[in-house]
Amino acid sequence: MSKPTQLRIAGGTVYDPANGGGAGGADGVVRDVCIEGDRIVAELPASARRLDARGMVVMPGGVDIHAHIAGSSVNHARRLLPEEHAADPMPAPRLDDGAITRSGSGGTVPSTFATGYRYAGLGYTTAMEAAVAPIAARHAHAELDDTPIIDAGFFVLLGNDDYLLRQLGAGEAARARDYAAWLLGTTRAYAIKIVNPGGVEVWKGGGDRRNVSGLDDAVGSSAVTPRKILEALAGAANALGLPHPVHIHCNNLGQPGNAATTLESMKALSGQRAHFTHLQFHSYGGAAGNGWSSAAREVIEYVNAHAAVSVDVGQVMFGAATTVTADSPVEHLLYASSGRKWVNVDIELESGCGIVPYAYREKAAVAALQWAVGLELFLLANDPWRVVLSTDHPNGGTFLSYPELIRLLMDRAYRDERLKRVNQKLLAGSALLDGLSREYTLGEIAIITRAGPARLLGLKTKGHLGPGADADVTIYASDSDRAQMFAAPRYVIKAGTLVVEDGQLRRAPAGRRLAVRPEYDAAVTKDVKRFFDQYACVAFENYGADPVA
Amino acid sequence: MIDRTVANVTCLGCGCACDDITIVVTQDRIAEARNACALGIAWFGDGTVPAETRVNGRTASLERALTEAARLLTGATRPLVYLAGDVSCETLREGVAIADRLHAAIDSLAATAATAVLAAQRRGRAGATLGEIRQRADLVVFWAVDPSARYPRYGSRYAVAPRGVAAPQGRKDRTLIAVDVGEALGPADADGRLAIAPADEVDSLEIMRATVQGRTVGEEARFRAAVELARRMTEARYVAIVTDGEPGTTSADPARAEALVTLSQALNAPTRCALSTLRGGGNRSGADAVLTWQTGFPFAVDFARGYPSYQPQAGAAALLGAGEVDAALVIGAPAALPVPVATALARVRSVVIGPRASAATFQPAVAVDAGVAGIHEGGTAFRMDDVPLPLRPSFEGARAALVTVRALRERLGP
Repeated sequence: MSKPTQLRIAGGTVYDPANGGGAGGADGVVRDVCIEGDRIVAELPASARRLDARGMVVMPGGVDIHAHIAGSSVNHARRLLPEEHAADPMPAPRLDDGAITRSGSGGTVPSTFATGYRYAGLGYTTAMEAAVAPIAARHAHAELDDTPIIDAGFFVLLGNDDYLLRQLGAGEAARARDYAAWLLGTTRAYAIKIVNPGGVEVWKGGGDRRNVSGLDDAVGSSAVTPRKILEALAGAANALGLPHPVHIHCNNLGQPGNAATTLESMKALSGQRAHFTHLQFHSYGGAAGNGWSSAAREVIEYVNAHAAVSVDVGQVMFGAATTVTADSPVEHLLYASSGRKWVNVDIELESGCGIVPYAYREKAAVAALQWAVGLELFLLANDPWRVVLSTDHPNGGTFLSYPELIRLLMDRAYRDERLKRVNQKLLAGSALLDGLSREYTLGEIAIITRAGPARLLGLKTKGHLGPGADADVTIYASDSDRAQMFAAPRYVIKAGTLVVEDGQLRRAPAGRRLAVRPEYDAAVTKDVKRFFDQYACVAFENYGADPVA
Repeated sequence: MIDRTVANVTCLGCGCACDDITIVVTQDRIAEARNACALGIAWFGDGTVPAETRVNGRTASLERALTEAARLLTGATRPLVYLAGDVSCETLREGVAIADRLHAAIDSLAATAATAVLAAQRRGRAGATLGEIRQRADLVVFWAVDPSARYPRYGSRYAVAPRGVAAPQGRKDRTLIAVDVGEALGPADADGRLAIAPADEVDSLEIMRATVQGRTVGEEARFRAAVELARRMTEARYVAIVTDGEPGTTSADPARAEALVTLSQALNAPTRCALSTLRGGGNRSGADAVLTWQTGFPFAVDFARGYPSYQPQAGAAALLGAGEVDAALVIGAPAALPVPVATALARVRSVVIGPRASAATFQPAVAVDAGVAGIHEGGTAFRMDDVPLPLRPSFEGARAALVTVRALRERLGP
């Protein structure tokens, strides 16, 4: 066996908030980071190869807690956007080791290879696909297999699952939990995702009702409500000891006045760990037909005061986006109001899928409000460990806009300049317009882009640079233009391999899959099989990521 | 007598991809394909495939065939890769990698449904997986198609007969309407039917959409039945409109596909509606999906510039027809190639790797027989609605397409 590669990243300013350095806004610490094989180690012999990082900023590789990058919904979106792909071609990169690379195309929903290369080029080494219907798990894994470099996993959709809702209706809490555990394992998923609990089921049901509007609306004729779905799945995730708590996209996404629903959802799970995703899209005041306003302060103050709650922001960035979500009734509204092209796919017994290409314009009142709400959530948050940077890629903007978002957070003068240019119509009384002086420090950026999401995902070997951590390291040349700095890291190391050097992609190893396999009472599979025999169009034995049999 | 049975086998005889087939193997032959329709029984056959390897018509070693294939393809100035049927997504992924490496044009069997795909790219679509139509649909409108001919179990497994969550009595809970457009007839056993002259078809669809949207439309007598159907659709709880994405024996108005998309989208304002576009077998939907995720485009991709560009008007048939192509690689079964493609392939040097390659009518320079995905080889295939399914081989021992195509890719170097 050949000796594992050794590398000393020497003399950089290290931001490793999980291990004490840089937490709470403190400066980084000048120290060496030592790598042996694919791990961080405490020390190396003096003879080890050195990478001179003096004057540079060293952080763990970025961790994206919520993005739409692989699977059937994403692929429907890709198919819908040939013009975007034609406008952003990506030739195959040339690598140092002569290894085969692949060409592709970008736009808001890039091809799989472009996704992997571009994440790595941004210094991100881990990403979570946020919404996979269980029936399409096999597809999502195949796409992740074709997404190089980054370690990746996905969240499996359960908030509108027919079998699950039946168990809740019958008061079979234990069986619901066993089902969730079985499903996670059989689809090789990482966490439980809820999207608009009950709302997609109502949308698919046809008739007069189009969606649910509150936590206590009936879903179908049974006693099932969004509240019960939230409680059951949050409880299941915690009881099963999953590394990441239930990942929740609340009801009423994008609706004026939805902050009330968001807060009610948080309160419904009071005391339980739960992650509320793309909070920006759920933090609006006002009321239907009666204007929009920011309710960011109210929502984030609740988050600040409740340690069991974590969030990612889902910032809106001006420019092109593609909305792609399992929240299909919302996409129908967006289609009706925008007149753009629209995909809807009802997914048998499980979920939905809706897609509308979109653009956020700074001169548009609602887009400007959304932009401001996201920034307010960031700037009013007390605990960066529970408030993660995201754009809900590609819904609020693509992951390539993260550097620009970091600049908005770190540079008040720049932010105020941008604020002057946006439509102010709906910003009256907003905290941002009143003047928020906070500027994120590099230490805080290290938390909201890597240490925090890694901790919330329960990825013990990611998001930090202590001995035993994965050797995923990003090294930036310091630049007062933080957008520039974060857009083009000088070096990116993934599992000990130097993948980006001098801003150029040099190597493209395969990433690893992140998945869980919780224990469950196997009796549940008999009942699930009976349900399959009665209603499903895929054999129980053919379901999941691998044949069960 | 019975050697073995293999249950839960997925059939690729058409796009339905029924995964409830039990294969009975007797004396190393398929004796029975239980649950399969006539198309499926024909697709499974007796399970035998030739195992020839030929270079210029003569038997050769695999080594020699792959060397010759690599020489031929790397020496071409305008190579074409064609993804044919009966190979797994895993093999298709290798095929796209080869096209990328060669800077080749690449197309697939998915291009047969180009009209429907392009309409969906312009407008989007309102759709559902087949199983959701089963659960929900109370009104099923067959638009100029009777699935029983080319998709025999579509009705019994998905849209018509089976009991669903919102259709507990199955067929009894659904109303079937046949729309006959010229000679393209809907199912004979529909509960109601109307006939539309081909020249009136697209106008009828537009008038139906106007009706759904509550816009006033003239009550011309020839559109009265269509308007009536539109009203009936708005009153249903969940409408499924079934259309054939594959070309038929009679030519259809090219604007039909888009008009069906916009009608089905519009129906989602007053009620719910899904358009179900029927597609053929052989895992062509897998080729569409793989090409889309690897390149961003579903068919007719050209890597000539070192990156994928989309040439929906200049796919394989057009390139071959124009004499542009000087070498072709066909991955999959040559027997199911579209006729213009197969005919034109006779005029270029070609390599075929796939089931019954050695029987290709266009006399490939290199022919390497492989097993059939789903009969001799595992992997993944996509149903016509993009639901992925595992393939379960009933036999071992046939040469696998995946490892053969991968070996060719590796031979091409980086």
